[in-house]
Amino acid sequence: MVTEQLIEKFSTAARNVGTEVCQFETLAAAAEYVAAHLSGVLLVPSFASGVRHQLSETLTKVGISVEETLSRETAPQAQAGITGVNFAMADTGTLALESTAEDIRLATTLPEIQFALLDPQKILVDGLAAVEPMRQLHQRDPRNYIAYVTGPSRTADIERVLTIGVHGPKQLHVLLVPKLSSDLLEM
Amino acid sequence: MNKQRNKDYRQRIDKALATPKLQDALHKFGDAYMASRDNAFAGHDFEAMRQEIAAMKDGVREKHTELLQQFIQNAKSAGTTIYLAKTAEDANNYIAELAKKKGAKLAVKSKSMASEETHLNVALEKAGTRALETDLGEWIIQLAGQRPSHMVLPAIHMFKEDVAELFSKQTGRQEPAEIEHLVQVAREQLRQGYLDAEIGITGANIAVAETGGIALVTNEGNARLVSTLPKVHVVLVGIEKLVPTLEDAAKIIRMLPKNATGQLLTSYVTWIRGAVPCADEEKELHIVLLDNGRSALAESPQCQDALRCIRCGACANVCPVYQTVGGHVFGHIYIGAIGIILTAFFHGLDNAAEIVRACIGCRSCVSICPSNIDLEKIILSLRETIGEEEGIGAGKTLVFRKVMRNRKLFHSLLRAASLLQKPVTRGERTIRHLPLFFSPLTEWRTLPAVADKPLRDVFSQQPQQVAKPRYRVALFGGCANDFLYPELGLDLITVMNALDVEVYYPQKQNCCGVPALYSGDKETAVELAKQNVDAMLEGNPDFVLTTCPTCTMALQRDFVEHLKDNPAWAAKAEQLAEITIDAAGFIVNQLDGAEVFAELASSEKVTYHDSCHLKRGAGVWKEPRQLIETAGHDLVEMAHADRCCGFGGSYSLTSHPDIAKNILKDKLNDIAASGASCVAMDCPGCMMQIRGGLEKEGSQVRTQHTIELLAEALRNKK
Repeated sequence: MVTEQLIEKFSTAARNVGTEVCQFETLAAAAEYVAAHLSGVLLVPSFASGVRHQLSETLTKVGISVEETLSRETAPQAQAGITGVNFAMADTGTLALESTAEDIRLATTLPEIQFALLDPQKILVDGLAAVEPMRQLHQRDPRNYIAYVTGPSRTADIERVLTIGVHGPKQLHVLLVPKLSSDLLEM
Repeated sequence: MNKQRNKDYRQRIDKALATPKLQDALHKFGDAYMASRDNAFAGHDFEAMRQEIAAMKDGVREKHTELLQQFIQNAKSAGTTIYLAKTAEDANNYIAELAKKKGAKLAVKSKSMASEETHLNVALEKAGTRALETDLGEWIIQLAGQRPSHMVLPAIHMFKEDVAELFSKQTGRQEPAEIEHLVQVAREQLRQGYLDAEIGITGANIAVAETGGIALVTNEGNARLVSTLPKVHVVLVGIEKLVPTLEDAAKIIRMLPKNATGQLLTSYVTWIRGAVPCADEEKELHIVLLDNGRSALAESPQCQDALRCIRCGACANVCPVYQTVGGHVFGHIYIGAIGIILTAFFHGLDNAAEIVRACIGCRSCVSICPSNIDLEKIILSLRETIGEEEGIGAGKTLVFRKVMRNRKLFHSLLRAASLLQKPVTRGERTIRHLPLFFSPLTEWRTLPAVADKPLRDVFSQQPQQVAKPRYRVALFGGCANDFLYPELGLDLITVMNALDVEVYYPQKQNCCGVPALYSGDKETAVELAKQNVDAMLEGNPDFVLTTCPTCTMALQRDFVEHLKDNPAWAAKAEQLAEITIDAAGFIVNQLDGAEVFAELASSEKVTYHDSCHLKRGAGVWKEPRQLIETAGHDLVEMAHADRCCGFGGSYSLTSHPDIAKNILKDKLNDIAASGASCVAMDCPGCMMQIRGGLEKEGSQVRTQHTIELLAEALRNKK
């Protein structure tokens, strides 16, 4: 499948489960979007493509209050967190986040809003196609904490009524930005 | 049989049946589930997917020792501490000791059925550690002091008002019964727990031998917090959750959410291998591998397929018994069909003894199982084991062993019953009221009277109108066709003759043995199998036809199974199985004969009820519809056409009449809503149940066997 079709398939599946998906030409444009959806502190953990593209500076430039020092004290206070994505799965609208570094987990589990920067080139067809990069991640690192994220946190435990945002993020925004990284093993 | 245990069980049934709100909720859930599930599997080949999972899981069972070693070795290399727990107590002790050693005051938990299985929370409390459930449903039932009534939706039996009351007690405020608000209350109330807890406890959906890691399939995000924030992470996982590779894990993840809740994928799948960073240190990761009866299950040839289970809970979602009484009746810790089996091995036969009889045998669970487990077959074998251990009841023993095995005595008694019933039938074909303690049997449906003359006596009186028969077939009538509905057998002659087929009735045939088998008396079933194999093959028929799908299953499947290890009988049983076919399937698939009936009927609005054993046993459901439509009727589909009618043989007569009555009520409502004036089916048992229910309601809707409708059409032509 060519990238355009994969983007289409991924976006449809992701939106079906309540993910906001937006496409941008540049990281700066994506930063504007983040700023518009935020009033509080944004957690920005360190990850390879973010560092390379000066994510933190770009976000600060548009007036966002950025927190780069993540801890059990700072993280619960923040409104949102932003990370990159290792790869995505089109059939289910899923993101794979290599979250072994604890900061990635703090930024994606505690705040109410989760932003994810995804290079469209990293969209794979489905979960079976994701096995190969998963295996490579397991071969590369001795220990792993890898998260597949599909939409915001949800529950149907009271009267089977679907309710968004129980323990994890209440919103998930996927920001499609080209040329961030084509390496599936890199966030 | 344990009298007190049975009494408690009966009380639980009564209590559940007195809660129509619960039944309503479970019915609505069942419908909504099926709709989402259909969407989730669009474009996927469920049948192929489940066969793949079954084969993979069987492979795991066969190579379990080496795969477990591989898992342990890989997990240890990644800094995991492994503990192999032989029993629930071992697992609890290990975790409680660990909590003590850490001086843990609080352990946060995400949903784990394995920890429900071992009653881990009780063990932790004893050790001085408070266990806090963080899954919303689990927290609700923890606050209520209950156990889950569903594996995936633990608090499915509770309503928002109940939850508001529980939460209000917790917060000291009056919490409104609004779901969104209550979810927010849970978020706020539990948040600090993750940060305070010294230990986080999770289960695992999968353990991957290739990596030594586990996968957690969740929606709420609590498992991510539980496995991230506390310094110690304990995973309690059953050893059957093992898979060889990441591909195998991906296949389970592709299946599980779709079949569990109709989601393409859950919000989170979390893959954890080894001691990952935690604050500025390393996490302490313990994986407790729980056996607790799983190895024993692997050793049981009759039951071992249950180890394929991936705990999706679908077998409960579609179960008419579960929808009627819920998981606090139809379950112990694990609920539904798989729950019966797991309970027997994890919690002992005694805890399974009542619920093993609660299965009505409709096979709806079998058709939806993502691991292709023949749950009904395993439940029957457990029933047999319990029958051997506890006896099947003095009355049943007498009937099955002394009476049924002696065909002449059995049939003489049935003939005698035809005379004895006269005072209650008042000369009619149905019994509307029974006196004294039998009266509950006819409270909610009439019962058919035993015919004056059974089919076996009148069969030869109807001349066969066929000059040059294409085939000569034997009819296996079964008890109902023979003694209750002989006219059905005569109609079969009419229909077959119109198709140039000659029918004869072997006089030595006896009961198919299913009633004995379903009651746990396999010995009688085997004896009856032998009698019938001889009786049916004696006249060397081209085919053996059946009008009752339960008998079809007996001849096609059970006899072969019963006699497969007996060299004197195995080949004969196989031979009988090969030539046995249900009447509708025979007409359509063997004779290609539907057109013979084309437009003969005076058109009527007909709805079709799928009998469990015809659709999910013999795989026949299109054929009778084709025949009814071709004959010129206006076929309208009722909702839940293939849902059980609640008959189940002795299930509705003696073992669970109250549940059967409720299942019938659902069916009658669906029939009425279809607007049809006739409901057709291919099973005398369903006829007995549905006709009896309709008559008792005073409904004008006719109940007809497809063969009767075809004979009627032929007569209409004349």
